[in-house]
Amino acid sequence: MTGSDAAGVALVTGGASGIGAACCALLRERGWRTASLDLNAADTDVSVQADVSQARAVRSAVERVVDDLGPIDLLVTAAGYYEEGLDVADIPRERWDRMLAVILGGTVNAVSAVLPGMLERDRGCVVAISSELALAGSATDLHYVAAKGAVLGLIKSLAVEVARTGVRVNAVAPGPTDTPLLAADSIWREPEYLTTLPLGRLVRPQEIAGAVYYLATEGSQYCGEVISPNAGAVI
Amino acid sequence: MTEHEIALVTGAAQGLGLATARRLARDGYRVAVNDVVDDGRLSALAKDIDGLVVSGDISDPAVTTAMVRRVDDAWGPVTVLVANAAYMTMSPFLEADTADWWRHIDVNLSGHFRLVQAVVPGMRAAGSGRIVVIASGWCVIGHPNATAYAASKAGLIALTKGLGRELGPQGILTNAIAPGFVDTEQLQVDADDAGISLDEMRRRYADGVPIGRIASPDDIAGAVSFLAGPLSSGMVGQILQPTGGITRTRA
Repeated sequence: MTGSDAAGVALVTGGASGIGAACCALLRERGWRTASLDLNAADTDVSVQADVSQARAVRSAVERVVDDLGPIDLLVTAAGYYEEGLDVADIPRERWDRMLAVILGGTVNAVSAVLPGMLERDRGCVVAISSELALAGSATDLHYVAAKGAVLGLIKSLAVEVARTGVRVNAVAPGPTDTPLLAADSIWREPEYLTTLPLGRLVRPQEIAGAVYYLATEGSQYCGEVISPNAGAVI
Repeated sequence: MTEHEIALVTGAAQGLGLATARRLARDGYRVAVNDVVDDGRLSALAKDIDGLVVSGDISDPAVTTAMVRRVDDAWGPVTVLVANAAYMTMSPFLEADTADWWRHIDVNLSGHFRLVQAVVPGMRAAGSGRIVVIASGWCVIGHPNATAYAASKAGLIALTKGLGRELGPQGILTNAIAPGFVDTEQLQVDADDAGISLDEMRRRYADGVPIGRIASPDDIAGAVSFLAGPLSSGMVGQILQPTGGITRTRA
């Protein structure tokens, strides 16, 4: 396995819990220096508490990370939240706006702040966390799925835009993952649903981190791809 | 480090298969290496990586059965199968003959179909397994003069998805890799066909790739290592496309 010789500096949005925290943990274990940008404090070398939907806050957070740890080699955009059980008519405008501001806007803000430094060094890796739901579609969580789908469009286009540089841009589309974002009574935790999955279980956050780590360390041939550790939810 | 330690790689005498066998050995697997004949390259490789030669034409059902038994006798059940061996010729569709069509199907598709049948009982007994299928970017986006090859590889993608669903519940994870242009011995063949130098061929291919360069065999071996190892335990029935953007932008 790749050791610390390939390790660098990673900034993970949403690094305080769930998938983001698992990414930070795996990267640290493999010798990376990690920074988190999250509303909450994270167990990372640098932990900045900020809202990813606020462009200015994200920019100053990125400046601080670069000052403290050096240039960013890997950006993982995992910040987000989930709401389910809503018919489309029951999703008020404010919920749409908030979901898009955090998931799509948060990804845009982080990428905008980090990409110039990567392009300057002609190296770097961006991994956006999307969702298997953005590939398959899903009922009762339209605002979330639309935002995650928009992230895929953003990533595919950005990947092509920077294709001839040394910067790689890709996405990971997790299946239902066992994180605090999935409520205890979520439909994705129901045994009747889980038995429909080839793996018969939720994805573990560490398994999303595994795909992120692979892209970060051996992903130089991936350009706008979507890697799917999803327990077989979408094949 | 590795949870599945006995690997079998078909088509290991050169190119992707060779790079994969070396990578898996470096990762800590015991690696059995196959190619249609051992012209010295397989035994040299096996000597290097402390591997086992199981040569033979995988389109022959007796060969696939014997290969797997041989590995089982020497080391135990195969827990990682890398289905990489491939037959390929190129010709305009109307000039392609039926025998050549069947050769593509017999080796690329039927050969690995039966090889999977041969390894699955051992994987079941071991409680888990990984099947890594080498498909092709050409079966995702199509390619002129390679219809039989692409069709046989497309069959492998359907096999990957079906096996993913059927064997996934038993802890046997099947995934595939669809490479684009890779810097292997095939490039020299392509250069000779086109009547240009190897460097010119490499440049021509690279120009057609969004990222501006073709993959190395080690890039693809890295993808196999990922799909064979612990980091990909949440993946089943998926097709990795380390093609520098060729497949993403055209399919």
